[in-house]
Amino acid sequence: MTHGDHARQDGMMSDSDCSEALLRVYEYLDGEMSTDDCRKIQAHLDDCGPCLKQYNLDQALKAVIKRSCACEEAPLELRATILTRITMIRIGSPD
Amino acid sequence: MLMLSVPAVGGPLSPGTGLSGTAAARLGWGTMTDDTQTPLENPTEVQPDPSEVSEQRLADDVVDVASETTSERRARFEREAMPLLDQMYSAALRTTRNPTDAEDLVQETYAKAYNAFHQYRPGTNLKAWMYRILTNTYINTYRKKQREPLQSDASDVEDYQLHRAESHSSAGLRSAEDVALEHLPDSDVKRALLEIPEDFRLAVYFADVEGYAYKEIAEIMQTPIGTVMSRLHRGRRQLRELLSEYAADRGFVRADATTSTGADQ
Repeated sequence: MTHGDHARQDGMMSDSDCSEALLRVYEYLDGEMSTDDCRKIQAHLDDCGPCLKQYNLDQALKAVIKRSCACEEAPLELRATILTRITMIRIGSPD
Repeated sequence: MLMLSVPAVGGPLSPGTGLSGTAAARLGWGTMTDDTQTPLENPTEVQPDPSEVSEQRLADDVVDVASETTSERRARFEREAMPLLDQMYSAALRTTRNPTDAEDLVQETYAKAYNAFHQYRPGTNLKAWMYRILTNTYINTYRKKQREPLQSDASDVEDYQLHRAESHSSAGLRSAEDVALEHLPDSDVKRALLEIPEDFRLAVYFADVEGYAYKEIAEIMQTPIGTVMSRLHRGRRQLRELLSEYAADRGFVRADATTSTGADQ
C-alpha cells in the first residue's frame, strides 16, 4: 500500500485532493494518465473512502456499459443489400 | 459524395458540419494503425484457410491504390470492410433509436466508405475510419431526421446534474448512488444511453465498448481531446444518474448501502 504523503501531511483529506480525484477519475479509469498521476490518484483512493466509492461506481458503470453493448450480428439481408449496393456504385476515377 | 478532411490539431469544434475535404486530401490516420480486427464468425460463410487470410491481409496492407482496378478495389473492400459489419451494426443500434434506422445508417456508411475507399490508406485502422464515416453520417443525417431535442445545449440542466452529483458525494451516503449498477438489465443501460445527448453517447460508446484511447476518439469524432474528455465526463455522470434512478425504481439497493464505506471489493 502506498499512502500519498500529500494527503497525509495534516492527517486529513483536503477538498482539493478530492475534487481533483473526482475530476480526473475517468482519465484514471480509462488508462489515460501518466504513471505519476496514476500513483497520486491511487494514493488518494487508498485514503479517501468517499472518493473510492465514487470510483467504484464509475468502474461499475464502465463495465456495465461494455457488457450491455455486446456485439450483435447484423441481419443477413443487410449484408446482402450492402454487397448489392456497392456493385452499383460507380466510383470516380482513381487518383 | 462524402467529404473527409484532416482535422486541424486543436482546431475549432465542428463535428460533422461544414467539412470541406479537397480532392487530394488524405485521411490523417497515421496514429491508428494497430487495431486488431476481430470479426465475428459467420456460420453461413465458408471460412478460408487462416494462412491465406493473413497473406491476403498483408497484401491488402501494401496495395498500390492508384493502380488498382475497380473490381480489385471492390474485392479488397469486401475482404476488409465486410468483416466489420457486425461491429458497425452494433454501434448503429446503440446510436439510433431503432433497428431500421440502424440498418439505414450502416448501409449509408458502407456506401460512403466504398465511395471514398481510394482515400483510405491501406494498412491503417479501417474500423476507426469506418466509425468516423458512421459518426459523420449519423450526425449529418439522422440527427436532423430524429428532431431530437438538442440536449447538448441544455448546459443548465447538465450543470445542475453535475452540481447535484457533487453535493451528494460531499454529503456522504445517498441511497440511489449505492445501488448495484451491475445488476441492472442490459435493456436499462441501452435505454439510458439513448437518453443522453448523442455526442456524449458516441464518446462513451467508443471509450467503453470499443476501448479506444481519447486520441482515437478525438480523430473519429473530429474534435479536440479536451472535448472528448468533457463529453465522457458529462455523459458518464448523466448515465450514472439515470441508472441510479432505474436501479432505485427496481429496488436494486446494495444490502450494505447504509453501512459500507464503499470499499466493497
